[in-house]
Amino acid sequence: MSTITRRRFLEATGVAAASVLASPALVRAQGKELVMLGIWPFTGAFADVGPLPDRGMKLAIEEWGNKVIGRPIKYITRDDETKASSATRRMEEAIDSENAKVVIGPWSSGIALACTEVAKRRKVFYYFSGGTEDIAGKRCHRYAFNWAASPYTAMHVVVDNYMKLNPSHKRWYLFVNDYAFGWSVEKYTREAGQHHGIEFVGSDRMPLGTREYSGFVSKAAAAKPDVLCLLNAGQDVLVSIREAHNFGLAPKVAIVNSWGVGTEDFLQLDPKTRENFWVGTNAYYGANTPVAKKMVELYQAKYNAPPGYAPCAAYGMTRLTLRAIEKAGSAEPADIVKALEGWETQDWPGKLSVNAKTHQTVRDYFLLRCKKPDQMKHQFDFADIVAVSSQPLMPDSLNECKDIGSL
Amino acid sequence: MRRVALIRFVLLVAAIVVLPFCVRPVVASEICIFAIAAMALNLIFGYTGMLSFGQATFFGLAAYTAGLMMIHWHAPLLAVLAAGTLVGGVAAALIGYVCIQRVGTYFIMLTFGFNQMLYFIAYKWTAVTGGDDGLPGIPRPPFAVGPLSISLDSSLRYYGFVAVSFLLAFYAMKRIVDSPLGVIFRAIRENPGRAAAVGYDVKRYKWLAFTIAGAFTGGAGVLYSMMFGIVPLESISWIISGDIVFMVLIGGIGNLYGPLLGAAAFKWLSEAISVVWERWPLILGVALVLVVLFLRGGLVEAFTRVRDIVAGGGPRPEPDEPVSVPDAAESQARP
Amino acid sequence: MNLSLLAGAILNGLVTGMLYALMGIGLSLILGLLNIPNFAHGVLYALGAYVMVSGTKAFGFVGGALAALVAVAVLGAVIETLGVRRLSRVHPDYTLLLTFGLSLILTESIILVWGPVGITSQPPALLAGSVDLGVTLYPKYRLVVMVVTAVLVLASYLFVTRTRYGAIIRAGIEDKDMAAALGINIRRVFTVTFAAGAGLAALGGALMTPVRGLLPTMGLDILPFAFVVVVLGGLGSLPGAILAGLLVGVVQSLMTAIWPPGADASVFVLMTLGIIARPQGLLGQR
Repeated sequence: MSTITRRRFLEATGVAAASVLASPALVRAQGKELVMLGIWPFTGAFADVGPLPDRGMKLAIEEWGNKVIGRPIKYITRDDETKASSATRRMEEAIDSENAKVVIGPWSSGIALACTEVAKRRKVFYYFSGGTEDIAGKRCHRYAFNWAASPYTAMHVVVDNYMKLNPSHKRWYLFVNDYAFGWSVEKYTREAGQHHGIEFVGSDRMPLGTREYSGFVSKAAAAKPDVLCLLNAGQDVLVSIREAHNFGLAPKVAIVNSWGVGTEDFLQLDPKTRENFWVGTNAYYGANTPVAKKMVELYQAKYNAPPGYAPCAAYGMTRLTLRAIEKAGSAEPADIVKALEGWETQDWPGKLSVNAKTHQTVRDYFLLRCKKPDQMKHQFDFADIVAVSSQPLMPDSLNECKDIGSL
Repeated sequence: MRRVALIRFVLLVAAIVVLPFCVRPVVASEICIFAIAAMALNLIFGYTGMLSFGQATFFGLAAYTAGLMMIHWHAPLLAVLAAGTLVGGVAAALIGYVCIQRVGTYFIMLTFGFNQMLYFIAYKWTAVTGGDDGLPGIPRPPFAVGPLSISLDSSLRYYGFVAVSFLLAFYAMKRIVDSPLGVIFRAIRENPGRAAAVGYDVKRYKWLAFTIAGAFTGGAGVLYSMMFGIVPLESISWIISGDIVFMVLIGGIGNLYGPLLGAAAFKWLSEAISVVWERWPLILGVALVLVVLFLRGGLVEAFTRVRDIVAGGGPRPEPDEPVSVPDAAESQARP
Repeated sequence: MNLSLLAGAILNGLVTGMLYALMGIGLSLILGLLNIPNFAHGVLYALGAYVMVSGTKAFGFVGGALAALVAVAVLGAVIETLGVRRLSRVHPDYTLLLTFGLSLILTESIILVWGPVGITSQPPALLAGSVDLGVTLYPKYRLVVMVVTAVLVLASYLFVTRTRYGAIIRAGIEDKDMAAALGINIRRVFTVTFAAGAGLAALGGALMTPVRGLLPTMGLDILPFAFVVVVLGGLGSLPGAILAGLLVGVVQSLMTAIWPPGADASVFVLMTLGIIARPQGLLGQR
């Protein structure tokens, strides 16, 4: 090739390449605005969940009129692909390029444990809601908070109240998704079970995303349990319920989904398969408090269905963060942290407080019993709330967060 | 010819310098890391004709090794890099010895099968790897040689380290493919039967290529482990193996620069589009299909064509079989 | 392990095994005849399931299954004519890239059309519930699926081995150029084979909807196993694919009963050992 054509080629491709590559860099963070990042799964195993917390977070920010302490809020989202590597990369990228100071999400506990490391290193405010005890436990640090009830409290609310109503159901069989979330809730289900003389007649651990539950259901049926306890997540819950019905295990045997999402699962289940189905959850739209009622009304008007756990959690975390920013009069991560620590207040789902030593939110947990098809008054009348409680608290001796560290 | 090569190299260095100012340093680092892995796959796929669908095995093994060394022993940076490269190479030698006994689809599925088995071990051996949660809490040691010690804490500094590692890897790879060894590899790709007839021990050279590629991939895995302070389980999953394959294919195989462009395009596209539209894989899919149907030489060919248009010659008629990709399918399909 | 559990595990294994065989036959024919590792085979299976769910609402259960079969087979023919055919003269790696791109496009299209949230579906009322087989209780629908897939698998096998058209396909697998030289319109055989393979995958997906439920990514869950079946059975060997499908299904299911975490891994161990011990596959000739 001649020198001239080569040079022209280099110029042309160079200009083209530079303009293509430079485009993301054009979006620079603006001085005064507060950037809040919602990191949610839009693709991958939890792809079905992503849009829901996105709605909840938007709802809270809109309620604040898109600004807080006089600063406009810029809400951005990133797709975590239900992968720790993508979540951490995109979180870091958003901190670098958009100057995000507040990060909320993701959905999976396993991925949250990766994100919390980034929050710690980059000193950004981090809020998560999920079933792993480690965010406000073994892997706690000053910048991370857990909004969901502690798995200790949650599993006690479920097991204690279920046994109060069904004292003879002492044979339990467990399906556990094999990751951070599943291990935490299994540990405390067993712990709570001891107090009621529950015999765990079997338990199986399966990877998240298992689609063939027939083998596990056959095994469970052979063990003749009184309760099939689902400690799994996402579609796994629905697949196991469907198989339990196909194999004739349910509704004879009660199904207890101790850490469920509630509404979104109910919508996907045939009313017949909801018979004798019990769900423990962090948020049910029937919660009887002013904050919850107002949010449910807004949400239902916008999306034609009541919110389940995912949008409520995102809404609740965003709302509490915004209120903490107002309380502190500052949107600096360190100030938000200090404002939240030890705070007792009314928010979603009701009275709550933030443990300053562990950053665990002490709040109500729900146990629901699904209604039979003929008991439902309208299409969203899924369940009765049989218990709401924020007790018992996890004993300090059990919490592995011994030193939350410095800012 | 030497001048052309020199200009290309200078251009590459310039691109590496400019990269972190065009995209975020984090993305730039990842592009370089995956470029090393893609370059390694290119050695066995593009130059030697063996498509491995299991490169994440070596990537992940090295990442875990490095992570564990840094967490438990606070091992220094260069020691970790050396160890990871070694682990990648040794693992590739062991697994490769079995895989290269077969060819074509069977070879692909063997590499994939071993990848799945090691993924499973990483998934179940939670005490060591953290399982599905990944291996967290990995420090990023400073770059230290003698009395000199440079902290790599900022994204940009770390990029600097990754970029230098990448250039060294690139130089090493260039030396390999330009050497007589590289010629033998290419001869094996073109026609394994003839290479054997001329007296080369085809299996031994395939094994060697596989092992070298494993070592490079291991090095990339080490760099990856320090990126976010965590080794996620995906780093050893077939998704990463697949990504590496597609990077190489997008860039254009059998040429040194193709995989680099492929890695850059793949990573940058998925980052840039995912911010704009949550259904970004759709756009990636459309781009892939268009490239395959209309731009088979990959990005390298795109550059060539643009050059030709700029030079005023108009587009070249598209050859039925791009020169860079010989049709070795028939000879490959039989064990 | 007690007898009832063992019987249940084997029955479950046979149901999944038949599905794997059905997927494997299509994949194997496409690989043998067109020399394409069809990465989009999984998403075609998923698409069949989704068309089934919509089709059932309009035409009932059987109508829904037929709609899935026809729609996806037509799509398969289109993919072959407009995409795969254009790449017939170049290296097969490009078709791998093409089918990968298509699988991304189709998966995302499913999300755009049917939404990202999973769908559960019930078996038709006639087949709901379970029957007592003496050793174990077993869902009626699964038994029916097992029989229907077995008939499909057998019919495909007989079609390829006993009919004139099947002979043409086999001739194409043996030697494309020779078949073309003999005056066979080999291009049309390619299109028909690709469409048939796609249709079988879709029918598999459609029949499995009440068993496995629907999720946009369900194709990726099953794809690795379909490839394992093809390779373990021997490239291009239909009896091999059927045998391997059943073997993989039963091994996976038994492992689920014995040591659940190892269920999927055992399949890959099986495949690796298989390739090492019998390079030509279980029943493969080459």
